[in-house]
Amino acid sequence: MVEQSEIIKIKQLSKKMRENILTMSLAAGVSSSHFGGSLSTVELLATLYNNVLKFDIANPLWDDRDRFILSKGHACLGYYSVLCEKGFFAKEDLNLFEKNGSFLLGHPVINKKKGIEFSNGSLGMGLALGIGVAIAAKKNKKNYRVFVLIGDGECNEGSIWEAAMSAAHFKLKNVTAILDNNNLQQTGSNDDIMSTKDLANKWRSFNWDVQEINGHNIPEILAALNHVSEKPKLILAKTIKGKGFSFSENNNNWHHNIMTKKQYDEAIKELNEQK
Amino acid sequence: MLSIKKYSEIFKTALNVGDDKVNENLKYNEIDEWDSIGHMTLMAALEEEYKITLKTDDIVDFSSFKKGIEILKKYNIK
Amino acid sequence: MNKNKIFNKANFKIWSRLGMRATFGVAALELSNNVDKLMILTGDVSTSAGLDRFKKKFPDKYLDVGIAEQNLIGIGAGLASEGFNVITTTFAPFQTMRCCEQIKVNLGYMKQKICMVGLASGLALGTLGYTHCCIEDVGILRSIPNLSIVAPADSAETVKAVMASIEYNNSVYIRLTGDASINQVYEDDYDFKIGKSITLKNGKDISIFASGTMVKVALDCSRILSQNNIDAEIVNMHTIKPIDIQKVNESAKSSKLIVSIEEHNVIGGLRSGIAECLADIKGSPRFIFFGINDTYSKGGEYNYLKEQFGLTASVISKKIMLKLKEN
Repeated sequence: MVEQSEIIKIKQLSKKMRENILTMSLAAGVSSSHFGGSLSTVELLATLYNNVLKFDIANPLWDDRDRFILSKGHACLGYYSVLCEKGFFAKEDLNLFEKNGSFLLGHPVINKKKGIEFSNGSLGMGLALGIGVAIAAKKNKKNYRVFVLIGDGECNEGSIWEAAMSAAHFKLKNVTAILDNNNLQQTGSNDDIMSTKDLANKWRSFNWDVQEINGHNIPEILAALNHVSEKPKLILAKTIKGKGFSFSENNNNWHHNIMTKKQYDEAIKELNEQK
Repeated sequence: MLSIKKYSEIFKTALNVGDDKVNENLKYNEIDEWDSIGHMTLMAALEEEYKITLKTDDIVDFSSFKKGIEILKKYNIK
Repeated sequence: MNKNKIFNKANFKIWSRLGMRATFGVAALELSNNVDKLMILTGDVSTSAGLDRFKKKFPDKYLDVGIAEQNLIGIGAGLASEGFNVITTTFAPFQTMRCCEQIKVNLGYMKQKICMVGLASGLALGTLGYTHCCIEDVGILRSIPNLSIVAPADSAETVKAVMASIEYNNSVYIRLTGDASINQVYEDDYDFKIGKSITLKNGKDISIFASGTMVKVALDCSRILSQNNIDAEIVNMHTIKPIDIQKVNESAKSSKLIVSIEEHNVIGGLRSGIAECLADIKGSPRFIFFGINDTYSKGGEYNYLKEQFGLTASVISKKIMLKLKEN
């Protein structure tokens, strides 16, 4: 059973992350930002970084750290938010989002000292990297775990399935993939654009241990992350794109959009009114 | 005339094996050392020792210790 | 590393009989003795890459990812990020094009170091059709930063290139050309450095730059040309990127004519690299180039295809002599 105090901590972290996401979206100005797809990952990342992922802020390159790869690279607002809250970089740095020469771009740029393991953004590539890192762990006789967050639209990419096949073939029980299943991709729903119907069974048939959860329910997320299996694990997280704000939930206009000051103020108000 | 003793020695040196592995029944791919890399090493060694240049067809046909002796008869070996 | 021990006359001869691919297998075995944390990854091509012996002897250093080239580079990069010395190999078109974006993002953009070995590039597998030939790899990869490109002239140079790339600071693509009866260019040991061309023969009249199997063709040209009183300098431009600009500049100063010969599309490869250098030189000499003229011809045997594209010493020499007669 999860301690209530832990759940509260993670909820508070999620709230701070949503605030940071708003900050960065506003900073992006007319460049726009991937608001919706970042919001659906908040509870997943908050739970992972608060209670599960092993890392050392004083030694970000610690050999035994768990590795997290944001394969769904455009969801970086959530990623940067949690890295910031956990102390990988200063809060002020969030204002550098998408600024000239910044280390915080619209897709992650490799910067291991700041907690960013790889440059992602071209969908479909992060899982293979994770497989390589997981194989390295076995060869180096290390116990760290590898977590890769992928999107459902991203599952259109054949390279995801190449990687999925190989994780099972190489018996990589140190790999956990978290699938942010918000049912929407860039220009429409998964069903409209390219149906990934029955993702759970697809991954099961690739010999992964699949758990289906509510991606915003913290106890469910925790249980799934801590679940032990001999197979590579897939956490199929049912999420809501744009989760957390009334104007963005399930509204695909917020896949990539401009955050105005007015919108920002309204959103902050809504966030503060939430428990 | 081909000296079997010398011929065997070439096998042993080229394939880096001992007396126990080289005999008249030895065939290509029968031992680890006589794989495709070992084969070309052997061919080069035979050419070097006997001062000949083997034809490609003969290299391909050279499938055993015995067959090799047959093939080398075509060449002018002193 | 006992490099000098294996680079001897006898081995050079054996390796030339093996051909570049099997020689790569020999190089792999040699590396396993000396290189820390070596990992060789293939896409279901162990035999074709001459790696059967390596696979048997060092199964823990060998990984087959199956026919999945995007995964090949992704996994390779993941291993490289954790300190492994990674070599990947499969047939050239699949090694460079199926996973081109992974090469860009992982090797170019993130600088995860991998040595990629492209098997049977050029026209060697012409009887299988152009899906298995590769006349585009150099051109495509040249535009990816942080990636060097080497085309060894013969089997001995293949071993040198593989060893040099392990010590090099960037990723390297090694382009293997020719078939099993590869012609020997080098008989004795010599110095090899990525980025430094090798002048195989000095000549005061013209300069011929060649890469891969065309180096032997260039040497054959020089014999024909000297019989016609033309003294040709022959340069093995094994590294097409970064190209040896200094050498091109030097040759451009003294030669009447610059020639390039490659078993690659005339667009994007060695010719383009040299032309880029020459464009910067005031009053540079005329430039004549040989390669595949931007076309997918009908298939056929290796020698037949080379003849079709005029990639033979007799045809090239004739055209050079004609060009020199022009005003």
